[in-house]
Amino acid sequence: MTKYSIKDTDKKKLKEWLYLMLLGRKIDSKAPNYLRQALGWSYHAPYAGHDGIQLAIGQVFEKNKDHFFPYYRDMLSVISAGMSAEEIILNGISKDSDPSSGGRHMSNHFAKPEWNIHNVSSSTGNHVLHAAGVARAIKYYDEKAVAISSQGESSVSEGYVYEAINGAAKEQLPVVFVIQDNGYGISVPKKDQTTLPKSGDAFGSIPNLKIFHCNGKDVFDSMNTMVKAKEYALSGKGPAIVHASCVRIHSHSNSDRHELYRDDYELKYVKDNDPIDKFKRMLIRYKRLTEEEITEIDEKAAAELKKAHKTALKAKNPDPESIYDFLYAKEYSDHKYPDGLHNEKGESVKFIEALNTTLKEEFRNNPDTFIWGQDIANKDKGGIFNVSKGMQQEFGQRRVFNAPIAEDFILGTANGMSRYDNKIRIVVEGAEFADYFWPAMEQYVEMSHEYWRTKGKFAPNVTIRLASGGYIGGGLYHSQSTEGVLSAFPGMRVVYPSFADDAAGLLRTAMRSEGPTLFLEPKALYNNPDAATVVPEGFSVPFGKARLIREGEKAAIITYGNTTHLSLKAAAKLEKETGAQVAVLDLRSLNPLDEDAIINLVQNTGKILIVHEDKTFAGFGGELSALITEKAFEFLDAPVMRIGSENTPVGFNPVLEKAILPGVEKIYSQLLKLVNY
Amino acid sequence: MKKIGLFYSFQTTRTAEIAEKISIGIGEDIIDKIDVMETDFGAFENYNLLIFGIPTWFDGELPGYWDELLPGMESLKWKDRKIALFGLGDQRQYPANFGDAVGIMAEFLEQFQAEISGYTSVEGYTFLKSEAQRDDKFTGLLLDEDNQQGLTDQRVKDWVVQLKDEWKL
Repeated sequence: MTKYSIKDTDKKKLKEWLYLMLLGRKIDSKAPNYLRQALGWSYHAPYAGHDGIQLAIGQVFEKNKDHFFPYYRDMLSVISAGMSAEEIILNGISKDSDPSSGGRHMSNHFAKPEWNIHNVSSSTGNHVLHAAGVARAIKYYDEKAVAISSQGESSVSEGYVYEAINGAAKEQLPVVFVIQDNGYGISVPKKDQTTLPKSGDAFGSIPNLKIFHCNGKDVFDSMNTMVKAKEYALSGKGPAIVHASCVRIHSHSNSDRHELYRDDYELKYVKDNDPIDKFKRMLIRYKRLTEEEITEIDEKAAAELKKAHKTALKAKNPDPESIYDFLYAKEYSDHKYPDGLHNEKGESVKFIEALNTTLKEEFRNNPDTFIWGQDIANKDKGGIFNVSKGMQQEFGQRRVFNAPIAEDFILGTANGMSRYDNKIRIVVEGAEFADYFWPAMEQYVEMSHEYWRTKGKFAPNVTIRLASGGYIGGGLYHSQSTEGVLSAFPGMRVVYPSFADDAAGLLRTAMRSEGPTLFLEPKALYNNPDAATVVPEGFSVPFGKARLIREGEKAAIITYGNTTHLSLKAAAKLEKETGAQVAVLDLRSLNPLDEDAIINLVQNTGKILIVHEDKTFAGFGGELSALITEKAFEFLDAPVMRIGSENTPVGFNPVLEKAILPGVEKIYSQLLKLVNY
Repeated sequence: MKKIGLFYSFQTTRTAEIAEKISIGIGEDIIDKIDVMETDFGAFENYNLLIFGIPTWFDGELPGYWDELLPGMESLKWKDRKIALFGLGDQRQYPANFGDAVGIMAEFLEQFQAEISGYTSVEGYTFLKSEAQRDDKFTGLLLDEDNQQGLTDQRVKDWVVQLKDEWKL
C-alpha cells in the first residue's frame, strides 16, 4: 500500500494537490460574489476546513469505475475527482450546460453522472442508500470498484443512514461511507445531535463494517485513511466508515450567520486550523516546495479560475420551454396490442396468477431483473400474498431476495442499484401493505424527479409494487388507499389495474420501460373471480390508456381498482331496475391519465360519477372532477359527482369497514340520483 | 546537572501557565523552555530528558503544531530518551476523548523506543474514554482547567515530585 507523507510523496503529486486545493478554495471564496452580483449561486455551502478529506476522496475515486455520491459541501472532492472550475461555476450559476442538472437542481450540488459522480438530493444523507444500492450491483456483477458516499456528521442522525450502513454490512457491500465532521448541523452543535462525539462510532458493533478515523484537515492522514478504507471495501469483507474530523471555517451557507452562535475564540480557533495553511507550512518546513513554487501554483490556479469565470458567464441559461423535457423516461412501446385491448378466448386466470406469471416471464426475458422486499422469498413463501411464489427457486437468491423491514432501504437501494447500468430492471414490494409505505416517502419523492433533475442523465428503472386498499377486514393499517397522495409527484407513473389481464399488461410495460412506476395492486382482487380474465401471451398495456368496460349513454362511471367491480355491479343493478344504460370506464393508469377517454365519455353521456376507494376529500377524484369541469364543462348535464370512502380511517370491525368504504349500494344510490338529475 | 527540554507552544495560554509551574517546580536552572512552533528538529536531540506540553484539540487530536512536527520527529533517535507528557483536556465536554493527545504522542514516541515517564493515576477523573489511558494509568499528567481547576496545582506539584524521583533529579 502506498503511504503518503510529506517526506516521501512525489513532488509532482504534491504540486498537483496544492493546485487542486488552491483552485477549489479560490472558487469557494468567490462563490458568494456571484450571489452579491445577482448572477446566481444562491445556495453555497463553503467547504473550507474540509480540505484534507475532500482532496483525498477525489484522489481515490476512479471515474467511470467507482461511484461517488457527493453531498452539497463536496466542492473540492469533485474538483479533486477531475471536474473543472468551469463545470463548478456552471453548476453554481445554474446554466444549461451545468453537467449536474442543466440548471435544474440547486447550486452547490455538483455531479457528473457520465463519470459516476452522481447527482444527489438536498435531503441530507439520503444518498447513502443509493450508494449501498449501486454497491449491490458492483458486487453482483463482480466488478472491482467501490461506492463512496459522503455526508456531514449531522445527517448521521437520519434513520436511513442506519438502514444503509446496516444493510451494506449485512450484504458485505463495497461502500466507503465518509462522514465529514465539522461539529455543526447548520447552527446545531453535535452535542445536540448524538451521544457520541464521533457519530460514526455509533456503528461500531455492526459486523463486517470497519471504522476508520482521520484528521480531515490533514492531507496525508486523509489520503492514507481513504486508501485503507477503499482497500477494505474492495476486499469484499464489507463496507467502511471514514470519520473525518474537520472544521467549518465559515457559516453553514450563505443564509447562515455563524457569528450569531460561535464566539470569537472559536472562530479564531477554526481559522487557525485552516488545512490549506497547514499544508503550505509543511511543504515549506520539509523543504518540498519553495515559497516561489507555491506562489507560482497559486497564480496558475487564479488564472484558471479567471478563465473559467469568463467562459461560464457566457453560457446559456436553460430554456423555459424545456420544463417538460425529461419528466418521464422512455416508455416501452413495442406493444402487440397498441391500446391494451384484446378479445382473447380461453381459460381465465386470477389476478395474482397473472402477476406471478408475468414476473416470471419478464425475469426469463431479462437476466438483469431483480426483485426484493419484505417477506419476498423464504422457501415456499413468496411475498406476503405469495405474488412472487416460486421465483427464488427459479431465479436464485441473488435476483430474488428478502429485504429488511426498512421501506426506505428497499426503495433507496433500488434507486442506487439501477444507477449501475440502464439495462437493469428492479421490482420491489415497497412494503408489506401500502399502509406501511410512508417511511419510504423521501425516497419515493427522490425517485420521482431523478430523471428530470439530471436532465435525462439518469432514470431509476424501478417498479414499486404495493398491495393496496381494503375490503379484507384489515382495519387502519391494512386498508389504506394511497393514490391520492402518491399521484401528486411529477415523474412517477402510477397504475392501478382492476383485472388480471390489465395487471399483467401494465406490469410488463412497467418492467420494460425506463423510469419508475408505482404499481398499485388491489389486494382484495388477488383471488377474486370477478377480476380473473384470460391473459394473452405477451400481453402489454400502454400507460395512459383507459378501458371502457361497459357501454352506456345515460351516465358514466369513471373508476379504477377495487371499485371498478363495485361500479359494474351498481350499473348492472341500475339497468335491471330502471333500464338505464350506464358506461363504466376503468382508468387503469392514473398518471399518465387518458384525458381523451374521459372527455369522450363526458361528451357521450353528459353525466359523470367518479368512484374510487380512497377518501373523497383530497382524493384522486377531485383531480378528475376538476379536469372535466375545466375541459368539458359545456358537455355536462349534471354536476360531477363523487363516491369514495368517508373522511375517516378505515375501521377494523366489518360493520365499520362497510360504513366507511364505498359499496354497491352507495354507488347505486348516487348513480340513480345522477341519472335522474 | 542534567538539562531538561520543556517543549510547548508559547502561543498557548493555559498550557504555557502549566509549563511555567512545572519549570519552577523542577527548577528553572535545569529547564530549557522551547517553543515547538519555532523549533527545529535538532532541538529535540539536545536532551535526554524531555517534557512535552500537548493539549488535546477537537475530538481527540494533537494540536496542529505538534501534528506538523511528527514526520520530522520520525527520523530522530528516541531510544533511551525519557519523555514526560502533560496536557489539558475537558472531561465534561469531551468525555470520549479526554486527553487523547497525550496518549497519541506516547504511542508515537514508543514506536521509536522512547521511554515515557510520569504516568499518573486515572483516579479522580470522570470520563468515558481516553487514548491516554493504559489500564488504571494515564501516559502522563492530564489536567482539566475547565472542570477541575482547583486540583491543578496539587496535581502539578505531585507530578513534579514524581518526575524528580523517576529521573533522579
